[in-house]
Amino acid sequence: MKEIVVIIGGGIAGLEAATQLLKLGYSPIIIEKNDRLGGHVARWNRLFPDMTPAKDIVDDLIASSKDANIFLNTEISFVNRLKDSYNVMLSNGISINSRFILYTTGFRLFEAQKKEEYGYGVYNQVLTNADLENWFNTDKDKRISGKDIRKIGFVHCVGSRDEKARNSQCSKVCCITAIKQAIEMKEKFPESEVFCFYMDLRLFGKKFEDFYTKAQRDHGIHFIRGRVSEVSENINGQVIVKAEDTLAGKPLKVTLDLLVLMSGMVCNPDSTKAASMLHLPIDSDGFLQSSDNVFHITSSPRKGIYYAGACTGPKTVPETLAEARSAVLDIHSEITAGKK
Amino acid sequence: MSIFGFRISPSSAMNLDTIDRSRFEELCRIEPDAARCMSCGACSATCPASEFSGMSVRKVLLCLQRGKEEEAFRMMNNCMLCGKCTMVCPRGINTRHLILSICRIYDKEDKR
Amino acid sequence: MREIYLSGYSNFIIPFMIGMIFVLSWCAIGAVRIILQLPADDRKKFFLSLINPRIMLKNIRDWFCDCLFHVKLWKRNKLLGYMHSSIAFGWFMIIVIGHIEVFLYTPERMHQVWYPIFFRYFVAVTENTMKGSFFFFLMDFFLLVILSGIVLAIVKRIRSRFFGMRRTTRASITDLIGLYSLWSIFPLRLLAEGFTADISGGSFLTKSLNTVLHSFLSDQMNMLPTWWAYSIALCIFMCILPFSRYMHIPAEILLIPLRNAGIKVRHARKGIAKLQVYSCPGCGVCIDACPMSAVKANIKDTTVYLNRQIKRYNERRIEEISDKCLLCGKCTAVCPVGVEGDKMRIAQRSLRKYNLAPSYANIDENILISRCNKFVNTSNTNVTSSKNQKVIYFSGCMTALTPAISKATTSLLQKSGISYEIMDKDGGICCGRPMMTAGRIEQAEEMIAKNTAIIKASGADTLLLSCPICYKIFKERYDLEGIEILHHTEFFDRLINEGRLSVNKEDKKYAYHDPCELGRGCGIYDQPRNIVNMAGKLVEGEKNRKESICCGGSLGSLTLSFEKRKALTENALNNLRIASPDTIVTACPLCRSTFNRYSDIPVKDIAEILDEATMKRKR
Repeated sequence: MKEIVVIIGGGIAGLEAATQLLKLGYSPIIIEKNDRLGGHVARWNRLFPDMTPAKDIVDDLIASSKDANIFLNTEISFVNRLKDSYNVMLSNGISINSRFILYTTGFRLFEAQKKEEYGYGVYNQVLTNADLENWFNTDKDKRISGKDIRKIGFVHCVGSRDEKARNSQCSKVCCITAIKQAIEMKEKFPESEVFCFYMDLRLFGKKFEDFYTKAQRDHGIHFIRGRVSEVSENINGQVIVKAEDTLAGKPLKVTLDLLVLMSGMVCNPDSTKAASMLHLPIDSDGFLQSSDNVFHITSSPRKGIYYAGACTGPKTVPETLAEARSAVLDIHSEITAGKK
Repeated sequence: MSIFGFRISPSSAMNLDTIDRSRFEELCRIEPDAARCMSCGACSATCPASEFSGMSVRKVLLCLQRGKEEEAFRMMNNCMLCGKCTMVCPRGINTRHLILSICRIYDKEDKR
Repeated sequence: MREIYLSGYSNFIIPFMIGMIFVLSWCAIGAVRIILQLPADDRKKFFLSLINPRIMLKNIRDWFCDCLFHVKLWKRNKLLGYMHSSIAFGWFMIIVIGHIEVFLYTPERMHQVWYPIFFRYFVAVTENTMKGSFFFFLMDFFLLVILSGIVLAIVKRIRSRFFGMRRTTRASITDLIGLYSLWSIFPLRLLAEGFTADISGGSFLTKSLNTVLHSFLSDQMNMLPTWWAYSIALCIFMCILPFSRYMHIPAEILLIPLRNAGIKVRHARKGIAKLQVYSCPGCGVCIDACPMSAVKANIKDTTVYLNRQIKRYNERRIEEISDKCLLCGKCTAVCPVGVEGDKMRIAQRSLRKYNLAPSYANIDENILISRCNKFVNTSNTNVTSSKNQKVIYFSGCMTALTPAISKATTSLLQKSGISYEIMDKDGGICCGRPMMTAGRIEQAEEMIAKNTAIIKASGADTLLLSCPICYKIFKERYDLEGIEILHHTEFFDRLINEGRLSVNKEDKKYAYHDPCELGRGCGIYDQPRNIVNMAGKLVEGEKNRKESICCGGSLGSLTLSFEKRKALTENALNNLRIASPDTIVTACPLCRSTFNRYSDIPVKDIAEILDEATMKRKR
């Protein structure tokens, strides 16, 4: 009989892991609580740094993992630990026995309305990075469509590196996402002026720096080092943003037609819930705790339980995919070691 | 020496070797959070006193560390202790108590 | 009537007399010192109040209600109320009846102060007369009342939870000596009178005890030692009294007239503040009330411990406790004797010396005035504006960070067709309350003067505030003659009543949180509830109104760090979630943002829900 591996979460990590497990001849079961696969990436339009359409990646992953057992709209009711395996009870009444569980539960986007001072949900000109991607995909957003947009602002670190928002970690991808979206907006509104308000630019990945240079040189995007602390509205239906230009050492005010908040990655409460069923440790940042942050990032302290992707902390798409493969290899090694 | 409002000094560079930082160290003992500022500038942007005296907690901390105490005192002169800076600080620094501690530890007259 | 000892004297009265003279002189000197410490104008005010019949009547009523009957305690906790009033009122009555007896039977002994206390020893009254047996009955009755109180006190000492008190203070050594001597006074008196009852007479209690005692202790020699013991117990109690929490008994007697004279805490350690410290009975009601007590480590920072540290002159702890407090005022609201924990702490903070003193003389108010004298006329054809009201809206520093509130407020102003101007849309001067709570009164006064000039120059007739922190200081410290100062809850409640805003009730449950500065601080409890009831269904938190729990975000605390406030906020949220509301509603920008950080249900300002409820109608 084929070895069963339970994958919790049908985002890109879960799909990639299922693909690889199928290749190795195992039987993966994906449990997804939503009605569609692909997670956050499926909602995105294009991915940095090559502007790859997110849809292509997700479609490829869904195609390659189609032979896996996939349960949509399904949650985990409870997990029991048996002698050397786990019994997973699903909300649709199905019970699965497996020696391996792979957590690919991912992250959740920070709820921007929790940063009250930015006025998300209050002002009609304020939207989040996810809203903007949705607009790129659907072309439908009352806050943008049909408006004369001349000035656009991007606020980095919304709900990241912020103890007040209860997330002190850096979300890693917002800086580059902001630059990507700034360029995309500049392409859509060539006459507009675009401002990026950052605390520190953290552009660590391959070709990220090129992206930054391109934004500065080719698109004339203004980078202002200062955290936005107040947003108010004027009678013309524009927002006035207050920040300090910390490099000039002077307070700064700018009137904008559109303000985009770069909501950060925060731990997924569903992930915490699923982890608590097996008493898996939670790290101080709220994400799942790997048994080791250098050597065993995909292993949990418990036998047979593995992690991949953003459930252990903010990750980029390539990192997530690499972790999914790495976790599958770990599982494969453990199975073959047992057969000897 | 001050002529026509311009300060004439041998060099505008700050010399970290000659700056007396004992006061700042004393401040850090009472306010360990003073060292946690990441200079994001959120406090300066929201401060109601900034339009009057250029108040900025970020700059005050920086000035005190760099030996520019006079400048820090001048900025702090219009601080209203309203607590907006405390509210917006992403590092959760208790800026109000920090300001009160500076008012207590430092002294205008004191030229050490 | 027959006097047993012609001299009217016995050696056992010496301990009693020592205690009596000691405690009376101590209290007299203390009272004089406190009155001398009062600022001259306050002192004059106090003396004038003593000849004002209305205030004097109130004094007398308060003396009876507070010192003897403990009415406030009754309201809070019936058992605790009975325990205190039985002992206090019973003892008072025994003293009074003792004096009446002396006056009636041996008026020539009135100058011998011990006579009423030890009357039974010296005088044998035939209980056959109606009068005699009546007094005997009264004396025994009140002794029984006291003894029942003492039994309760002993039970409370062993199991305080019977009294519904989760936490009480840890008694100090002098408190314990005082406590045990107090407990022993009355059983000893009963014993002494019991031994004497066959000679002097007695009633249901003493007489029957006498019979019981005589069945196995027939020796008359037991009589004198018990009277000695009674006298010594009195002596110990009176000598320890100034150093124990029982000092609250005499201190409260003076505190009541001072309070009724309207004297406020000005100096943290002198005058009425000092008297308040000594009036603290150490009951610990403030411990359970304090929002900081949600974290066990903070218990020693409550008002009862502040009073104790002030008595011990422990300056380091006094400063710590004073700076940590959230100034929510709940300890003051629940204190049975009227210790003003929040005001004392602000006064204590104002004693601190700073080398750098901010000043606002350089701020040109004319620039600020020019920013806020263009009233937006929103005369809406749908709304008939009865009077030509000009509202100046001071949103305040905190509201600048919660734009949802200012947006909803201006939207409501527009809907009701009022001409308004926002005073601080491009920045302005802080109201001064945060500076005041830090104890820097002089700086706060400077800001008040600047803002007063701006508001007066604006030409407005109403000052509208959405922040209770501002509202409190505007109400208390600003002199804006002719300009009405209103919190938005009051203002909108009035607009609804006048029919200028019509509200569509939504099918939602709202839990209303009383902000400290609005509720306890300014006594506004009903207007916000009226609005919530118009907009939806109002539900209450477990603790509400006067007892509402601070959100934990208060600017009052100078030292409480951001992380340490989390537990306080969560505790306050649990209190509000008890009736499972759909939304938590508050009327303070600071409460809103503090709750919003940790709440899993939406948190909104009252202006927001009202704006939503009035929006529906328009469609």
